Amino acid sequence: MRKRLLLLLAVLLSFSLIAAACGDDDSEADAGADDAGTDDAGTDDSAADDDMAEDTSDGSEDESDMDEDEGDMAEDEGDMAEEPVASVGLVFDIGGEGDLSFNDSAAAGLARAEAELNVTTSKVSPNDDGSNRAELLQLQADSSDIVIAVGFLFETDAAAVGSANAGSNFGVIDSSMLDFSGETPAPYADNIAGLVFSEEQGSFLVGAAAALKSTNGHLGFIGGVCCFGLIEKFEAGFIAGAKAVNPDITITSQYITEFPNFDGFNDPASGRETALAMFEGGADVVYHAAGGTGLGLFQAAKEHTEASGTKVWGIGVDSDQYNTVDAELQEYVLTSMLKRVDTAVFEIIKAHIEGTFGPGEQRYDLSVDGVGYSTTGGFVDDIVDQLEEFKASIIAGDIVVPTDPAEA
Amino acid sequence: MNEITRLMNRAPKWATWMIYAAVGVFILTVVQSLTDTERLTSATTSSAMLRWAVPIMLAGLGGLFSERAGVVNIGLEGMLALGMWFGAWGTINYGPWWGLVIGIIGGGLGGLVHAIATVTFGVDHIISGVAIIIAAPGITRFLSLEIFANYDGGSITQSPGVDGVGKFTFPFLAGGSIGGWKSPDILGWFMDHGWWFISDLASVGRGLTFNLSQMTILAYLLVPLIGWVLWRTRFGLRLRIAGENPQAGESQGVNILRYKYIAVLLSGALAGFGGAYIASPELNGIYLEGSTLNRGFIGLAALIIGNWRPAGVMAGALLFAYPTALGKRDLEGTSTHSLLLVAVIALAFVVLWALSRNKTGDAVLAGVLALLAGFWFLAADTVPKWWTDVQPQLIVILVLVFFAQRLRMPMAVGQPYRKGES
Repeated sequence: MRKRLLLLLAVLLSFSLIAAACGDDDSEADAGADDAGTDDAGTDDSAADDDMAEDTSDGSEDESDMDEDEGDMAEDEGDMAEEPVASVGLVFDIGGEGDLSFNDSAAAGLARAEAELNVTTSKVSPNDDGSNRAELLQLQADSSDIVIAVGFLFETDAAAVGSANAGSNFGVIDSSMLDFSGETPAPYADNIAGLVFSEEQGSFLVGAAAALKSTNGHLGFIGGVCCFGLIEKFEAGFIAGAKAVNPDITITSQYITEFPNFDGFNDPASGRETALAMFEGGADVVYHAAGGTGLGLFQAAKEHTEASGTKVWGIGVDSDQYNTVDAELQEYVLTSMLKRVDTAVFEIIKAHIEGTFGPGEQRYDLSVDGVGYSTTGGFVDDIVDQLEEFKASIIAGDIVVPTDPAEA
Repeated sequence: MNEITRLMNRAPKWATWMIYAAVGVFILTVVQSLTDTERLTSATTSSAMLRWAVPIMLAGLGGLFSERAGVVNIGLEGMLALGMWFGAWGTINYGPWWGLVIGIIGGGLGGLVHAIATVTFGVDHIISGVAIIIAAPGITRFLSLEIFANYDGGSITQSPGVDGVGKFTFPFLAGGSIGGWKSPDILGWFMDHGWWFISDLASVGRGLTFNLSQMTILAYLLVPLIGWVLWRTRFGLRLRIAGENPQAGESQGVNILRYKYIAVLLSGALAGFGGAYIASPELNGIYLEGSTLNRGFIGLAALIIGNWRPAGVMAGALLFAYPTALGKRDLEGTSTHSLLLVAVIALAFVVLWALSRNKTGDAVLAGVLALLAGFWFLAADTVPKWWTDVQPQLIVILVLVFFAQRLRMPMAVGQPYRKGES
């Protein structure tokens, strides 16, 4: 009996070892933050990140502007001393680095800043329920001049930690970081900026692409979670873009769950079921803004195409999904609406260094390539000219893209 | 009324279930005609319900095994996550059937931890279960970081695509082929004729028999198998005594600890099957962190309203899966809205049932709820999204309010047991 107990104890111990290893993420991150002064933190990663950056930039057409900027920066760098000009602390959203989407895009922006701006960087990921966000922000604020938090879920914590650490600047992705409690919306503090994207403009372009490619005059939109204001912008832009091409087009919209139930971003099975219903109802191009749920859209496009014999398409979101889905699904990814988190991260770091950091809402739209569309796979090559015309009109202000589906 | 009850009691069990199902379809058909919708009895809806119910049912059957042996297992959610990870990993490396086996082993490992904690060390069942729920996503995240992140198309939160097992269509019922000969598609023939109720019944039936994954069939075959094992074998009797009165069993020479271990291990294995099913193309077709979506907890709810019996668990899982499956395909929003009318009819039955047993209070309560649902039905054209999300919870609350006295859980469930105390 005693022997058996010992054996069980051994098994339990080995399990606790595994459990301890799961905490690794955080402890590694802590270590990275501690020696933020050295370049050790994540040198292996940056190679991978560079690849990632190349992948995502395939899609955007106006890289040339960017390249000029880069050129300028490179010259500046020559004048600079070896001493780093700033330290940057990045806090990932739940999911952490390696999610092939949002967080990896932020990491790519950070890697670019490291390569071009002579800054030191450190990266940390929250635990899987995100309960240690405030502590991670504080940790980064202690050792960095500028702290970047990835995701709107950081809003409350960043406002509190930012107000208490006036010595560091804070940037929060996807939240305007404006305090709406007063008469007029005002920044929480002078050192807190919110980096937001004009998703409706990018969605407008993929909406136009969908309408140009559709043979049935029937499109679909799948949103992950409705009623907290973010995903509706995607829907509004998509509808407006489709109608700009064909005013009589039919668009079926469906959301998977309703705020505050965020399961709708994590449910590929529901995405597939809903997309199948849309395809069976006559839609032939469907756009999703539903995170992980969106994979189901491409599965459904393949399934429906093979069952019915007529080709249907899905449109991806955030990153270039042609590069993230399995090879057998790639031919169903018409294009993707790109949200250039990497651009925003890079630009806010640059603004910090140049002393142009501004508090409150910092908007990244088509004119600075904060959003765009991808061309990987070559499925939209024949309509790029028309899309570029729309893009120019939006930048010029001739087309104002609505953010509310009711106005689209 | 009594005549009907006597007839129902004399009919074999499976026939009783069939009659209940037919009555359910009849109500859906009536509602469908009244509200002018068409998805309530469509084959796509019933087929989606069948698939959506599988992980809920398997988690519920896992809970059944464990609770029948006296161990509460709220760690099922974590075991589903483990099964999903191992199922995906096994499928990617060794093919779908081995993936299923490896997923079952993965879930079983979670069960083993729970068994060691609760049976050997006497840890409170809830605490151990919560620990597993918290630990499992950490373990899968760690494993993904080490393994999936290195795969092409994988990352720390998801795996590359996962393949599925073969499909099966029932011959004669839905036109499956036997040895290359294509049998007639009887349900399909009835379905296409547009006869009121008969075609609806055939359409629901065809959804349940056409182009099923072999994994789905295996999952549903477990229901009678588990019923047989637990109620018709010596092993089952001894396992159940561990959950009803372990001291009495011990005095008869039954090794209670061994049966508790086996039960909790099987519980984890069944949840592992459920997890592997979530990762299979029948649902997600991928391992994705956080995509168990509380199916483990809903499985426990199915266990409760199923009265700790396999067929009851299956019925509960199908009942919970139906509104979800309907909601996903309901692009117009009218079908989920018409479920309110179904709720009114169901509550009206409860009123009749309560009156026949002189339970005036219950009858009044059910009547008021029916009126509220009816008012909501008339006042709105569509319902918000959360309406389908909350239905499992609503159904459980209603069942507990009206039928709690008819539910009977194993007597010694959740109680600590130490060998030699009796």
